[in-house]
Amino acid sequence: MTASLLAVRDLRVRRISKAGSFELFVDALDVRADEVLTVLGPNGAGKSTLLRVLAGLLPAESGTVEKAGDATVTMVFQRPIPFAGTVEHNLRLALLGLRLEPAGVRARVDEGLAHFGISHLAKHRAHTLSGGELRRLALARAFSLRPSVLLLDEPFDDLDNDAREVLSSDLRRVFSTTGVGVVVVTHDLHRALMLADRIAVLTDGRVTQVGARDEMLARPRTIDVARQVGMANLLPARICGASGTAPRAANAGFAEVAPGGRLPVSGDWSPGTPVWLGIRPEHLEQDEDGAGFPLGKAFVRAVVSDGVARYVTLDWNGLELRMHLLAGRLGESTLSVGDPVALRVHEAGVHVMPREE
Amino acid sequence: MNALDPAPIFEITLRTLAVCAPALLIALVIGLPIGIELGRRRFVGRGFAVSIVNAGMGTPPVVVGLAAALLLWRSGPLGGLGLMYTQIAMVIVQVAIALPFIVAITLASVGALDENWELQIRTLGIPTRWRLWLLLREIRLGLAAAVIAALGGILSEVGAVLMVGGNLEGETRVFTTSILMHTQMGEYETASALAILLLGLTLLLSALLTVVQQGGRS
Repeated sequence: MTASLLAVRDLRVRRISKAGSFELFVDALDVRADEVLTVLGPNGAGKSTLLRVLAGLLPAESGTVEKAGDATVTMVFQRPIPFAGTVEHNLRLALLGLRLEPAGVRARVDEGLAHFGISHLAKHRAHTLSGGELRRLALARAFSLRPSVLLLDEPFDDLDNDAREVLSSDLRRVFSTTGVGVVVVTHDLHRALMLADRIAVLTDGRVTQVGARDEMLARPRTIDVARQVGMANLLPARICGASGTAPRAANAGFAEVAPGGRLPVSGDWSPGTPVWLGIRPEHLEQDEDGAGFPLGKAFVRAVVSDGVARYVTLDWNGLELRMHLLAGRLGESTLSVGDPVALRVHEAGVHVMPREE
Repeated sequence: MNALDPAPIFEITLRTLAVCAPALLIALVIGLPIGIELGRRRFVGRGFAVSIVNAGMGTPPVVVGLAAALLLWRSGPLGGLGLMYTQIAMVIVQVAIALPFIVAITLASVGALDENWELQIRTLGIPTRWRLWLLLREIRLGLAAAVIAALGGILSEVGAVLMVGGNLEGETRVFTTSILMHTQMGEYETASALAILLLGLTLLLSALLTVVQQGGRS
């Protein structure tokens, strides 16, 4: 495991505003070199507050944010803030504090501009740039400092889809070539997952789970986390035995979801335990004779397609399920509202989480 | 004074500038920090302070002159300083007239910056000694507007400077008091010549500042 560049321990931050007071608690969170940590959470969960604390812009009421050695931290805000003057001048101003030789400044400026593909805009006035160009300027300016840790607050905000696509690809490339430790806050789950090595989920001012991206996608601990990582099918259920009469379901049991609806579950759960079953939309399959566990018939409530995937809403025993199908897969041209669908799910695709009653 | 006699006109021009320039400079030195702080900080009573500043821009200069005269008059609290009917007294009232313009326009310019501007400067690690320079650079359009407004106010001011300056020939006579005097004496030709010169001076200085301001915009 890479050493931490920033280590947050037992942090407590209180912010008081006109809207009321807000508290952020973080037991432990590490930002590591050559790794992207994406912070997910609903509005008001404390994501931006966390970034500001990491940047040293907000004081902690208690706890610590420890920096490794001479690690440097730079933040790029949600709304790019250009300085008056040219694009090149913006980068030069950011380097004022480093006391570099002119050749060193030149090299940093050229590198920063090249990283984000805005070398051709070097002599343009910053205030004449488009939203996407301004964002690239803010990123280039931050990168010209060669920080150990870069904090990005909603880097894809206000960008169109193409610009998001290109920027996320550029960011990924720059992150991997520079080895910088990155913390990204974004509402764009798709981009977040593209960038993330690890994910932290914030709920109501608390870090509820941190882990490797794939681990977080497959095994969220709570339904709040599950919602944040895109596990859209969350079904209240109750563990029943392997055959309905066994005293214990161990790694091969079932959960009763709705009258007549059963799903296979793994794990050490006692019969009768109330649980949430989480299924990612892409883990549901429309297949009469596939390898997964048959769920029986569901009926199509709605189908939306963006040309890349189809987002299908289904009625399964009175419960709503969501299924994502990549374009070109089964039944692409025939699926329409009211159609019956034979559903299957792999046992590994059914995730069990505790539920309180 | 002959309307076309250049010597006294030159003298009045110099004296006008000698009073207005230090007044403007002092107003900037006092007003800029106040405007910047009012623009960037949020504190209890800020709204009241801002409304006082805004009211200051609308205060009749003659009221400022009367207040200054009451303070500087021989029997007034500051009478012992012997400043009444001196250029220093004129500078004082002009500072009082220019100050609200400098503060109000500066605070509006600072307030118009992105709310995270200062935090961005900090996270980029720009040293403290450069931050004020960067801030002034960012607000330079507003700053030029503040200087134009303040300069216009004090160059055209007559009531207050007459009350504390007395329009003494060779000592406190400036363009505006001179124009007033010649008008009252029926010397309209001289008054008109001086008025044209004052107008030209005001337009010239405003044009210079506007060039600076618009140069910063492009």
